[in-house]
Amino acid sequence: MSSDRGIVIAGGGLAAQRCAETLRRRGFDGRLTIVCGEPELPYDRPPLSKGVLAGTTGDGVHFRDAAWYEDNAVELLLGRRAEALDPGERCLTVDRGERLPYSELLIATGAAPRTLPQLAGFSNVHALRTLGDARALGSELGAGTRLTIVGAGFIGQEVAASALALGAEVTLLEALPLPLAGLLGEPVGRWLAGLHEEEGVRVKLDAQLTGARGNGRVEELTLGDGTAIGCDVVVAGVGVQPAAGWLAGSGIDPAAVLVDAAGRTAVPHVYAAGDVCRAFDTVRGVHTRTEHWDAASRQGTNVALAMLGDEPAPHVMPSFWSDQHGVRIQYVGHAEDADRHVIDGDPAQRDFTVLYSRGEIPVAGLAVGRPRELIAMRRLIEAARRGQPANEPAIEPTT
Amino acid sequence: MTLKALIDETACSAHGDCVAVAPGVFALEDTAVVIGEGSDELILAAAESCPALAITVIDADTGETVYP
Repeated sequence: MSSDRGIVIAGGGLAAQRCAETLRRRGFDGRLTIVCGEPELPYDRPPLSKGVLAGTTGDGVHFRDAAWYEDNAVELLLGRRAEALDPGERCLTVDRGERLPYSELLIATGAAPRTLPQLAGFSNVHALRTLGDARALGSELGAGTRLTIVGAGFIGQEVAASALALGAEVTLLEALPLPLAGLLGEPVGRWLAGLHEEEGVRVKLDAQLTGARGNGRVEELTLGDGTAIGCDVVVAGVGVQPAAGWLAGSGIDPAAVLVDAAGRTAVPHVYAAGDVCRAFDTVRGVHTRTEHWDAASRQGTNVALAMLGDEPAPHVMPSFWSDQHGVRIQYVGHAEDADRHVIDGDPAQRDFTVLYSRGEIPVAGLAVGRPRELIAMRRLIEAARRGQPANEPAIEPTT
Repeated sequence: MTLKALIDETACSAHGDCVAVAPGVFALEDTAVVIGEGSDELILAAAESCPALAITVIDADTGETVYP
């Protein structure tokens, strides 16, 4: 292997792929290496809990085929992990002690699922983060399989819907009184719980997991109120944490990988993008970790631009979507900044919007089954951020 | 190079991100549709923003695929 310094990307997800593609498209012709922890060509994660699990997408989730990496001289180190960063020597150490000198480095190692100590060591407990996870879980699900999902966030909810479509008997546990109500408000939390119940998911709220019983495989989960839940398969969907532990001692705090709007860390020649980092929001004046597909996509592109000395793309409001039981749920903005919200439409018909505001200022929007209204809300919120009236305020805030 | 966006209507699931990135180029009907022209960078940014990976970008002069 040549020791020429090139651009090195630690991590092989969406942000890494976007960065590599943008670098090549904009004419970077130096050495380019992606260190991808999984033994897979870089792939798209959103289908994992949806079509891949439900068996409707197949394995067609890779961004590019192997030939693309060869044609574009992108060296892929698959199944290899970043282990240490030495910014003084400008060197990334990967497993087996190999050292990769870099001119510029992108940290894009993503996030890893949180685990629950009560469920440690059981072979039928799954997370859902990687293609390998989705395949392993899918192979255990079928008609009549008793699946219990711990955690009713969006991943847990999507797994519930996909497993139900496979004929599984699904129980969804949420430790809080309502799912996602802290961010989206109580009415939306109630609506989400109701949506799953209507479709046939057994939803248990205020459910504190206290123990698991079984020999090698979990056979029964116990809750704080004494309830016992028999299960064949368990999914832990209790959030993720940045996969940044390998940065210990590098000068970058693994607990808070902070970057500016262009993706630069405080360490020269080192950038970060995607779920691993907290990016600076120039309008709100805070660093936030968003864990959204669109943020990883934009941040990966922006880092490539910054590495080449170009201006980052204009700021776009963060957004995400979720598909469950055939219902499209879309969200834009920062509902955590809101102190009130207004519902328009009919939640019972799965056809409504929620506009979240801080005082009179719209800060976030949720659209269920109404993609065009999400665009209208996005315009309204972005205009408010710029301190101007929206060009086409299709939705007026009413309080 | 002049770039042109093509939308795979079977793949498009009306997320609307392309409209957010390039409002003069795309609009949302039952699926996204191309309504105008934009700079090459804008069209590429819109294509990359598509979570359904439904936008193909071609070089209008040669017909060559630029993205994906």
